[in-house]
Amino acid sequence: MTPKAAPKAALKAAPKSLTGWFRRHIVAIAGLLTLAYLILPNIVVMVFSFNKPAGKFNYSWREFSTHAWEDPCGVADMCGSLALSLQIALWSTIGATVLGSMIAFALVRYRFRARGAINSLIFLPMAMPEVVMAASLLTLFLNLGAELGFWTVLIAHTMFCLSFVVVAVKARVLSMDPRLEEAARDLYAGPVQTFLRVTLPIAAPGIAAGALLAFALSFDDFIITNFNSGSTVTFPMFVWGSAQRGTPVQINVIGTAMFALAVLIVVAGQLISGRRKKSAPTG
Amino acid sequence: MNDTTAGGDVRLVGISKTYGDSFTAVHPLDLTVPQGAFFALLGASGCGKTTTLRLIAGLEDPTTGSVFLGDRDVTGLPPYKRPVNTVFQSYALFPHLSIYENVAFGLRRRGIRSVKKQVGEMLDLVQLGDFASRRPHQLSGGQQQRVAVARALINHPRVLLLDEPLGALDLKLRRQMQLELQRIQTEVGITFVHVTHDQEEAMTMADTVAVMNGGRVEQLGAPAELYENPATTFVANFLGTSNLIAAEVTSVSGGEIAVTAANTRLRLPAARCATVPTAGGKLLVGIRPEKISLSYAGDTDDTDTDTDATATVSDGRNRITGTIAASSFLGVSTQYLIDTPVGPALEVYVQNIERDPRLTPGAPVTVHWSPDHTFGLDAAQDIGAGVATAAGSAGAAS
Repeated sequence: MTPKAAPKAALKAAPKSLTGWFRRHIVAIAGLLTLAYLILPNIVVMVFSFNKPAGKFNYSWREFSTHAWEDPCGVADMCGSLALSLQIALWSTIGATVLGSMIAFALVRYRFRARGAINSLIFLPMAMPEVVMAASLLTLFLNLGAELGFWTVLIAHTMFCLSFVVVAVKARVLSMDPRLEEAARDLYAGPVQTFLRVTLPIAAPGIAAGALLAFALSFDDFIITNFNSGSTVTFPMFVWGSAQRGTPVQINVIGTAMFALAVLIVVAGQLISGRRKKSAPTG
Repeated sequence: MNDTTAGGDVRLVGISKTYGDSFTAVHPLDLTVPQGAFFALLGASGCGKTTTLRLIAGLEDPTTGSVFLGDRDVTGLPPYKRPVNTVFQSYALFPHLSIYENVAFGLRRRGIRSVKKQVGEMLDLVQLGDFASRRPHQLSGGQQQRVAVARALINHPRVLLLDEPLGALDLKLRRQMQLELQRIQTEVGITFVHVTHDQEEAMTMADTVAVMNGGRVEQLGAPAELYENPATTFVANFLGTSNLIAAEVTSVSGGEIAVTAANTRLRLPAARCATVPTAGGKLLVGIRPEKISLSYAGDTDDTDTDTDATATVSDGRNRITGTIAASSFLGVSTQYLIDTPVGPALEVYVQNIERDPRLTPGAPVTVHWSPDHTFGLDAAQDIGAGVATAAGSAGAAS
């Protein structure tokens, strides 16, 4: 009886243990699948930056080559549009971060007329369909007689980045204890010193998050830029335009480089904060 | 900031604070805190004690009046120009700075370059020398509290303001920190102004206590003075516990006042009356629960046999008969609530030296006490003032 029962039990146990294993690891599996879903497009971009396409379109794999990496600016006008995009992203990030941080502080720390209204109005650019906003901005600029180009794009980008910065900084300021600033004033720090030594360092993570968000949003914005740029061509517009005629491998090179840079910044940030925690162990 | 020629006494002259048009946090107030004093502002939340402290610190501007430090009028000075430092209720340590930099903050802002020696000494004073490189969130509540004290004291302020600094600590740690703060105060000799809602804490630590209520100082004095001779029902009830009995004055003769309450005759010394009583007038008679003795009723009535001499009540004492409504055992003492003709729930604390097993709820008892321990209060005030607010912090074992 018993020798017969043993293999039967083993047969039964095998599928059972498989479902058991699945059950135990379902969270990890779901996590990995989601991660793959998120990262796969980036990997495709990266892999195809090493492609040597047959024709003008970089859509099917032919053979490994580094020629695009060796000559990233080999495509006419691409690096010019990239530089322009980086410039616009930088300036609109600075503008939106400074203005947005001030708005966030004002909304959290002070009581004034129409504070509630402003608190909700600030979300409007986030809620408005981008294409509608792009069209209305164009109407506005045309009616004002503004010349479309670098400045109109910069103004538009600063405007729509603003609400994202406000949201990010506001969350941080809300969690800041106003007594910290009182303590600074009590400890002989004047208004400027209090701001530089206490307020700003403590709000910095929120401000940095807002700034990064603003940079990313501005750098790859297409719709609003397309409406308001006139003859100026930013990097996303260049990619869109060239996709009609053929996609140079260099686009993938720029994309991969941006991705690698972002990952590098995140990893560096993690390492620095990790080391800071390690250097002063809890006890 | 370190000139010691001027005094460290704090004088508030006619100071008041009104928010908006309606809410008055502090009514016009005159208050002098002598140099080197450990001064406590005691009151329930919302009584104006923290506002008073912030007026001294300069974190609030007074609506009227002036703040003097020594002979100097500092009313118009911003907080960073006042030789006054504060230990905040939540400590308000800078989370982005190490303990060392937190403590050095005040010195650096005043442009002092070499802070190492002073910071080291100050961290040793609060016994946190090994924690200099840590961040505030890595420290326990008690350690954070000591950092807050060190950060303020390193500046040698004329006055150190403490805003409920022990409120966030558990009971045992609070006791320890009370002693610690007293030790530091005697060591550095700086004027301490301590805000608290804990009457025990105020009495343990301070040499002078100001009891505040509704934006006014109800009474000011040494802890024992306030406890033994409260001037108002609020002080009587907030500072410890009092049994207050509404009575009618029958005679005022010499140094003694006789009153009746529900046909019970009671006596008290005129010197311990916060008001001037007149025969036929009303008076609130007060007695602290620990000053009352409790006897089983049969023992005291049985005067013929006189078997138990210690249980008899001499004629000179105030005595009331009643029944025990409730009792709770607290270790060192037992707390009884006695229903009597003069009022329900008279509180009596009896030390657990020789416990009488007959003293259980329902038992008939006689409560008696020396007339000298009785105090009198003006009857024209709320007999229950300060009861609810003190309930949380009143303790029998103090």
